[in-house]
Amino acid sequence: MDLVIQLLLNGIVNGSHYALLGLGFGLIFATTRIVHFAFGSIFTFGAYVAWFVSGYMGAPIFLGLAAGVVVAMGLGVASYVGLYQPLERRGVSPLIPLIASLGLTIVLENLVGIIFGTGARTIDAETSIHFLGPAFFTSIHVWQVVSFLLVCVLLYLFVNYTRYGKAIMAMTDDPEMARVIGIDTARVSILVFALGSALSAIAALLVTLKDGASTHMGFTAVFMGFVAVIVGGVGSLRGAIAGGFLLGLVESLGLWKISTEWQSSIAFIVLFLMILLRPHGLFSLARR
Amino acid sequence: MVRKIIASVMAAGLLAFAGGASAQEKPNDPASYKFGAILAMSGKADWYGKVMSRAIQLAVDEINAKGGVDGIPLEAIIEDHKSGVAKEGVSAMNRLISIHKVQAVLTSFSPPTLAIAPIADEKGILLLNGGGTSAALLKASQNMFHNRTLASDLGLAAVKWAETRGLGDMAQMVWKNDAGESVAASAQPYWEKAGHKVVATEFVELGASNIDTQVAKVRVSNPSWVGLWLFSPESGLAIKKLREFGVKAPLIGIEYTGDIKEIAGSQVEGFEYASDYFTPSDEYPWSRDFAAAYKARYGEDPEFYAANYYENVYVLAEAIRRARAKGGDYWDGRKLISAIRENPVFDSVYGGSMTYQSNGVAKKRVAIFKVEEGKGKFVQYVSLD
Repeated sequence: MDLVIQLLLNGIVNGSHYALLGLGFGLIFATTRIVHFAFGSIFTFGAYVAWFVSGYMGAPIFLGLAAGVVVAMGLGVASYVGLYQPLERRGVSPLIPLIASLGLTIVLENLVGIIFGTGARTIDAETSIHFLGPAFFTSIHVWQVVSFLLVCVLLYLFVNYTRYGKAIMAMTDDPEMARVIGIDTARVSILVFALGSALSAIAALLVTLKDGASTHMGFTAVFMGFVAVIVGGVGSLRGAIAGGFLLGLVESLGLWKISTEWQSSIAFIVLFLMILLRPHGLFSLARR
Repeated sequence: MVRKIIASVMAAGLLAFAGGASAQEKPNDPASYKFGAILAMSGKADWYGKVMSRAIQLAVDEINAKGGVDGIPLEAIIEDHKSGVAKEGVSAMNRLISIHKVQAVLTSFSPPTLAIAPIADEKGILLLNGGGTSAALLKASQNMFHNRTLASDLGLAAVKWAETRGLGDMAQMVWKNDAGESVAASAQPYWEKAGHKVVATEFVELGASNIDTQVAKVRVSNPSWVGLWLFSPESGLAIKKLREFGVKAPLIGIEYTGDIKEIAGSQVEGFEYASDYFTPSDEYPWSRDFAAAYKARYGEDPEFYAANYYENVYVLAEAIRRARAKGGDYWDGRKLISAIRENPVFDSVYGGSMTYQSNGVAKKRVAIFKVEEGKGKFVQYVSLD
């Protein structure tokens, strides 16, 4: 029973991380329909910039977070304006931005190595350990959950009570119709690339504090974000959150009685099952 | 008559002299000795490629600065197997042979090395491995020599050390690949035969970023000690997580690198590990000079991976020198292999000399280290006999 409680706790913490990634990736994907795989590399960039400011230069962690968020937002916007938008204007098939995104991923990943070096990076932060009955958790775990909840509240308020938030929701429903009714879709796209990238940087800083950063951490991040979105339902932010938590809990609790050598297969199994049983995801039908 | 006899004797002498000259045929020298190195230059484990390629280049530059091998320069061509991808290793090997006409290849990581072994056998290419640790490498090729203690032996050294310490039930965290599993395959039977239990076996993927579940399962198994059959950087993450989650049992592993230290942070204190013993010292000037040159050039202390690949370049240079002494078309992988087998003793940058055994593995000292103040402190040697 001790193990189940610990695994449940791990699942909630990991679920918060995946849900945050799902929100970031899903916001971009649902609004622009661009499969932005370079989201993973921007996540890595955010982690290394935060390390450079807080780990290498010794600045307070909130400054590292701010720097990571700003750089990630800049890269996100630059990738849309410099790469995807010109392709959109030419009316290319959706496959082309996908391929361009993979190319951008490789470029950014190598750039991280060139600028910051290829070794593992950590940020020294004072962490406290807490008990919940027989289960352990650290202050970083708490921050992962709290940050996620905070992001959820802010995003909810932004989406429901601001003009741009409503424009984003209109674009997720029907980009063409949004354009017809006068929404500046290019500007909204820039905004979601900035917002989604900022969320990736928050997740990146927290995971760097928890486990350290490596130049290849982006692949898992974008993959988990992608699975969370597909499982939850494309176009639904609630779905991305549910998908992230489902993934975190299944990945953790699923290994209660199964050998851990199956760990990396679990995300795929969840993805395959959802595609087979509910191809539109958990929440997409509910929204319609 | 006497003249005829003298003439015959002189003719016989000339023939004998000529015969002698043909036995010591003039060596057919290439313009340079091109050799390949297939390393992890990109991907999740590119740290290995970085340190190995640096050491190779350092050795090549040193040898060439002294005039090369018998006046002929060495030239290293570095290829990338993208952190252990077998098919990338095969592509690299084919490029090295068909484009660059190499006769020797320095290889690393078990999966690509296993994949290129049949090609080396078919084309007669010398393989020098300084990083791959899988026990499967032993049977992979007759053309391969290892100056790295295989993972199975390191695992054996680690469990023997645990036995010496009088530790009980073991939990093990195993890298989910050939190298990690070959450690478990040697450590687990030994430990069970010694009358102990293995209370948990948890697998960790190469490049894993989340091992909380594995750590939770190890923790509830309440082991007397934890065997970390992982390599860099996953062992650093495992050390950090195990300690963070309150596992106070001794942690014994098979590697300690800068990345492990970086990730584990202060939690790494007390970590014990079995390893090839590379510690530069004044007792062995070559080890000291190599460490100083490496640090001067790259700003970091060399690890044993760097030492192994640096040493392998010198082994290759010596094998070339010995093969060339026999003359003829000596720049041929098969001739180099014969040169090593005929006299398997080579100078070692670790100190003294090393001898390749009949299975191709150089017998080196395996030692136990304990991390104190961030540095691996020598504890004692472990006999694998």
